[in-house]
Amino acid sequence: MLSQQIINGITIGAIYALIALGYTMVYGILKIVNFAHGDIFMMGTFFGLFILKYFNAPFFLAFILSALFTALLGMVVERLAYRPLRFTDRIVPLISAMGVSIFLVNLAQLVWGTETHPFPKVFPIKTYTFNGMTISSIQILILVLSVILMIGLHLFVTKTRIGTAMRATSMSITNAKLMGINTNFIIAITFAVGSALAAAAGILVGIYYDAVYPTMGYTAGLKAFTAAVLGGIGNIPGAMAGGLLLGITENLGAAYISSQYRDAIAFIILIVVLMVKPTGIFGKKEINKV
Amino acid sequence: MKSTRLLKIVAALLILALPLWLRNEYMLHIAISIGIYIMLALSLNTIVGYAGQFALGHAAFYGIGSYVTALLLLNTDLSFWLVLPIAGLVTGLFGFILGSPVIRLRGDYLGIVTLGFGEIIRLIFVNWVDVTRGPMGLPGIRSPELFGYTFTSSADFYYLVLVLVAITVLVIYRVVHSGMGLSLLTVREDEVVAESIGIRPTKYKLIAFTMGALFAGVAGAFYATYISFISPDSFLYTDSVMILAMVVLGGMASVTGSILGAIVLVVTPELLRFASDYRMMLVGLAIVLMMVFKPQGFWGESRRKRNFYGKELADKPQKSAAAVSDSNSAT
Amino acid sequence: MKKMMTLLAAFSLIAGVLTGCGNSSGGSGGDTLKIGLAAPLSGASAQDGQAIKKGAELAVKLANDAGGVNGKKIELVAEDDKTDPKEAAIVANKLATDSSILAVVGHFNSSATLAGAPIYNKNKVVEISPGSSSPAVTDAGPYTFRVITTDAYQGEYVAKWTAEEGFKKVAVIYENTDYGLGLADVYKKAVEANGGQVVAMESYILGQTKDFSPILTKIKQQNPDLLFVGGLYNEAALIAKQSKTLGLNVPFMGVDALYSNALIDLGGDAVEGFMLPGFFNSSSEKENVKAFVKSYEEAYKESPSTYAAYAFDATQILIKAMKEKGADRQSIADYLTTLKGYEGVTGVHDFDENGDVMKEPEKLIVKDGKFQSYTK
Repeated sequence: MLSQQIINGITIGAIYALIALGYTMVYGILKIVNFAHGDIFMMGTFFGLFILKYFNAPFFLAFILSALFTALLGMVVERLAYRPLRFTDRIVPLISAMGVSIFLVNLAQLVWGTETHPFPKVFPIKTYTFNGMTISSIQILILVLSVILMIGLHLFVTKTRIGTAMRATSMSITNAKLMGINTNFIIAITFAVGSALAAAAGILVGIYYDAVYPTMGYTAGLKAFTAAVLGGIGNIPGAMAGGLLLGITENLGAAYISSQYRDAIAFIILIVVLMVKPTGIFGKKEINKV
Repeated sequence: MKSTRLLKIVAALLILALPLWLRNEYMLHIAISIGIYIMLALSLNTIVGYAGQFALGHAAFYGIGSYVTALLLLNTDLSFWLVLPIAGLVTGLFGFILGSPVIRLRGDYLGIVTLGFGEIIRLIFVNWVDVTRGPMGLPGIRSPELFGYTFTSSADFYYLVLVLVAITVLVIYRVVHSGMGLSLLTVREDEVVAESIGIRPTKYKLIAFTMGALFAGVAGAFYATYISFISPDSFLYTDSVMILAMVVLGGMASVTGSILGAIVLVVTPELLRFASDYRMMLVGLAIVLMMVFKPQGFWGESRRKRNFYGKELADKPQKSAAAVSDSNSAT
Repeated sequence: MKKMMTLLAAFSLIAGVLTGCGNSSGGSGGDTLKIGLAAPLSGASAQDGQAIKKGAELAVKLANDAGGVNGKKIELVAEDDKTDPKEAAIVANKLATDSSILAVVGHFNSSATLAGAPIYNKNKVVEISPGSSSPAVTDAGPYTFRVITTDAYQGEYVAKWTAEEGFKKVAVIYENTDYGLGLADVYKKAVEANGGQVVAMESYILGQTKDFSPILTKIKQQNPDLLFVGGLYNEAALIAKQSKTLGLNVPFMGVDALYSNALIDLGGDAVEGFMLPGFFNSSSEKENVKAFVKSYEEAYKESPSTYAAYAFDATQILIKAMKEKGADRQSIADYLTTLKGYEGVTGVHDFDENGDVMKEPEKLIVKDGKFQSYTK
């Protein structure tokens, strides 16, 4: 049972990690928490669902297309709701993000209805049992795809010109500008990449739970944000570790302590970690300038 | 000057006589809701606006105040007038207890931890069934009585909330426009500087937390007796967010701002009711637009004409807001 | 000075608009008879709220097509309570103080009904709930009615059924709301009273929990011979599916709230054999049910869920009250308190002195992707 819980925890943790990357990348550059990210994830799931259902597209094409649409949505949100607020107090874009979040949920409700949609059957579900432990083909798919995406992201950030520019921008927007980097473009790209990853996570969630609905971004967003902070917000490997840690502890907590306090357990872990290490597991120590 | 005073008197009279000229329970209910949210926004403003602490769990304090009141009114014979301050003090104590360990965290980390506390408190409301009746909520909460008169009509509650709002405004106004307010602002602007001139940031942040929680508890106490039924559904994370939006939209560190923010965010969704299915979408859009076009809020610090000693500033307000945001973001 | 003026002007403008909203409908009260509808049209329970709206709209449409009430058309005024008791209080105030609203269908969840009840009762307007099954609603006031039986009644009914089928080791999963908790409590006690054993009690959060694997893995260790779900269809479908994936193959039993095509659409093969009591059965042979299902499918291109049927009944009862007793608030209330033996699509309605309804459900099972009458 323990190993079964851990496998389930890793699966959901991988999904948290993919969403958490969007929070952490945006935070790394702009130092704002994109509270609409959970709803961008929801929109991504709906795009995937829509493309698969109405155009009968092959799975990987649908996967890429919905990532593209969601990336576009992320850029539009950045342009309209965040860019005008870049030089205000950091709490201001946060409220604007809340507005975007309310808007997107209700937009989805109008367009796709309030009901829970089943996800088209794109993969046959097979379960493999060994040692009393069950793992399904979907869980394997989730793990494989998220590992590929995370490695891809790592290569993108460390090995490409845009990735380098991104890291420069996250150190200092002003300095990056002085180096001739088009920071507006880089910030837009950051939103695009984060949103595309959220769409990928969304489709995986859709397949795993077979349930897509307009308010699904709320919990997923909250958990992923927690995962991002747990790992040290702004830190990409941190988000991955935070996601996995959260997924596993949450499952174990629900199984061995109390399913009623499942979400509380996640937050208690977070609070304990932050008490010991105030900037998260992988977070850099903040320097107090005098 | 003279006509301003006249206008103020007219406005005050209009507000006092509201139940007389507003012979509509729905409108009075909206007015009462505005009152509750003014208390909540003002109390959060002491934490977020004045002390500069990013708190995302204010609904938890609101809820604690409500539950303490409901439980005392249902299980004891205590008068509401005694329960009200008890609820405020207990909630204040919670603010102090929850605040002490986390107050050293900074910025967004404090935000997520307070959010976490909010969720944990709500889960306790939901799961501690023996005491809170869990998700079934607590129905049949007593109305206040005064000299044998029981509060029943909306007008009664309107005057009660008016008095409570007046007390909240007065106390918070006095505090933030005193030496303590200046210390709070210093902490917000730069903790290192504050410490160097003998202002202990932790102490002042804790004071702000406790005071904010206390008044949120008072608002909760009023809510419980007014609606007469409470359940955990009323104290969600989205409510914390709404209160925060009121503070920011009105203008941080401004008493007038919080009042305006509360009015705007309670009234806007009501005005948009005609849009039925499009309503919440428009509310979301309205929030984005208000932020984009008025990032300083309706009545932000840049509009303040008097300094903290009540002296008139020069005609043109100094451009302090930009400086504020810069130093705030340098965590 | 100028600011003060602008502020005052804005204030009075807003007040004017709000009063306008409140009263404008009052003026036109002469031509139409208005019924309020208060349900969660957005938010976590929006799916049920929209079904309720459709059911009520259909009842109004059918009545209007048949000539209305004494030559007057009926109009439905829908308001969104977002499943939030605070919002419910606002909506209740809005509807109750608008004197042209003769009665209200709503609210859906019990906490919203309870938050609204004092306001409706103070204004002496009937509130008839299509979905609040909490026992607390019984004492909510003389103007609060419902067309759904209490959790307690259903919990005991299903527990009796459990014993009849010979299930001895039962695992319970319930949603952590007033509804689920009420059900789970009664069910557990009744099962134990009938000699059964409840080996696990696990809960989830409505609209949030989608990953049931931790609790299902835990339940699997206990080897139950039946899984009882005290919740709604979306979660029940997920629970059934995820338990199959985890290799937990046991029969399922649930409550009437699971009666929705969404259960079958989402659950697919996994919900085959799901047993539940139903007050509404769209494949029923009864004439009135057949007619309702047909007109619902024509109007909305989907089949009605159990809540759409409840709302349809509630609205029809109100319309009948207007026809037979008179189109004003007090007459409707008087009519409802004496109503016995009303034959609706969800069964025969007898209101007791508390405004609660007594109905006998039917045993249903999911078979070949359809809800069917259960035969042993």
